[in-house]
Amino acid sequence: MEDPDSSPELALEKDPFQLTVEDVYDISYVIGRDLLKIGSESKGQSGRISELQFKIVRVLELLEAMVNQCSLNVEELKMEKDNLKKELERVLSEGARGDAGQLNLGPDKQVIDLTDPNRPRFTLQELREVLQERNRLKAQLLIVQEELQCYKSGSIPPNEEQFVTMENGSTASSTERAAGNNEYTMIKRLFSFKPGKQA
Amino acid sequence: MAKKTYDLLFKLLLIGDSGVGKTCVLFRFSDDAFNTTFISTIGIDFKIKTVELQGKKIKLQIWDTAGQERFHTITTSYYRGAMGIMLVYDITNAKSFENISKWLRNIDEHANEDVERMLLGNKCDMEDKRVVPKTKGEQIAREHGIRFFETSAKANVNIEKAFLTLAEDILRKTPVKEPNSENVDISSGGGVTGWKSKCC
Repeated sequence: MEDPDSSPELALEKDPFQLTVEDVYDISYVIGRDLLKIGSESKGQSGRISELQFKIVRVLELLEAMVNQCSLNVEELKMEKDNLKKELERVLSEGARGDAGQLNLGPDKQVIDLTDPNRPRFTLQELREVLQERNRLKAQLLIVQEELQCYKSGSIPPNEEQFVTMENGSTASSTERAAGNNEYTMIKRLFSFKPGKQA
Repeated sequence: MAKKTYDLLFKLLLIGDSGVGKTCVLFRFSDDAFNTTFISTIGIDFKIKTVELQGKKIKLQIWDTAGQERFHTITTSYYRGAMGIMLVYDITNAKSFENISKWLRNIDEHANEDVERMLLGNKCDMEDKRVVPKTKGEQIAREHGIRFFETSAKANVNIEKAFLTLAEDILRKTPVKEPNSENVDISSGGGVTGWKSKCC
């Protein structure tokens, strides 16, 4: 302790919980030096002074033990704190990984793998519309095939302008239909549901 | 004068568990063919077959539904327009027989009240794998007051008979009045009983 900045007397000014064993030794050095001074200055009192010195040494030993124990405890707590900190980080990162893998799903939920080429993509409504479209076109095809059969069998001369007579009196040209000019209205007429016409 | 392609249009519906052979039953009736590969029906499909009953040409528009649960909201919307419903089970599949009551409930919930019903126990060619006795099928049909046939789409047993019987039953209830609608309804809405074309 030659360093002037760390003069042994400074140990006496320290916070009790910052005290180290070295500080206790500094204190005992300071007290020992002062006792020595007192001893040399007051001859005849040496008996009482050495008696006091024993007690002071004992107190310093107690202080040394307590500081030792305290610093050991602090060291242990620090280690425990570090371990707990690491454990916490591990649990948190695992939890984050787990969250990505399986979210907190309810009983009616399912996870879709976005990399799966066969993953569900379309809604029931979309499927319903596609099916209705398919079945509508299929029905139209059947009617056209039937009509074609009529032409093939010679029931309808192909050069003659033919009219499909509807029950409600409306007419539609079949050549027009073949040309596709009036396709939508024709199909609409053929396929639209008329509740009033129900048998 | 051009001849009519048909006098009446009957809309029929096939329902029952997935894999009991609804599509095969229909394919046998419409195309007189059979395919062993199982392709699950997607949602709803239909076929047309014209038959002649009591001197009347009857166009049967037969709707084939997917048995799988996931399509039920689509298929049940087609019950309403049906005039006849064929409920099919598989005599080698006990579960498909147990589910008959579920399908009957579906009919009660979604179909017209006066719909003609029929129960079919399909795959009757597979006698060695049978788990549902014919008497059990007859019994449940009797309890619900509906017709019953054991069929085989593969061996062509009772297929035509079943469809013609169902069509006859519907014809019996159909008013003799000449149908006057020329529209084919392919939407899931109401049924159209007659469609006349004078194209040829």
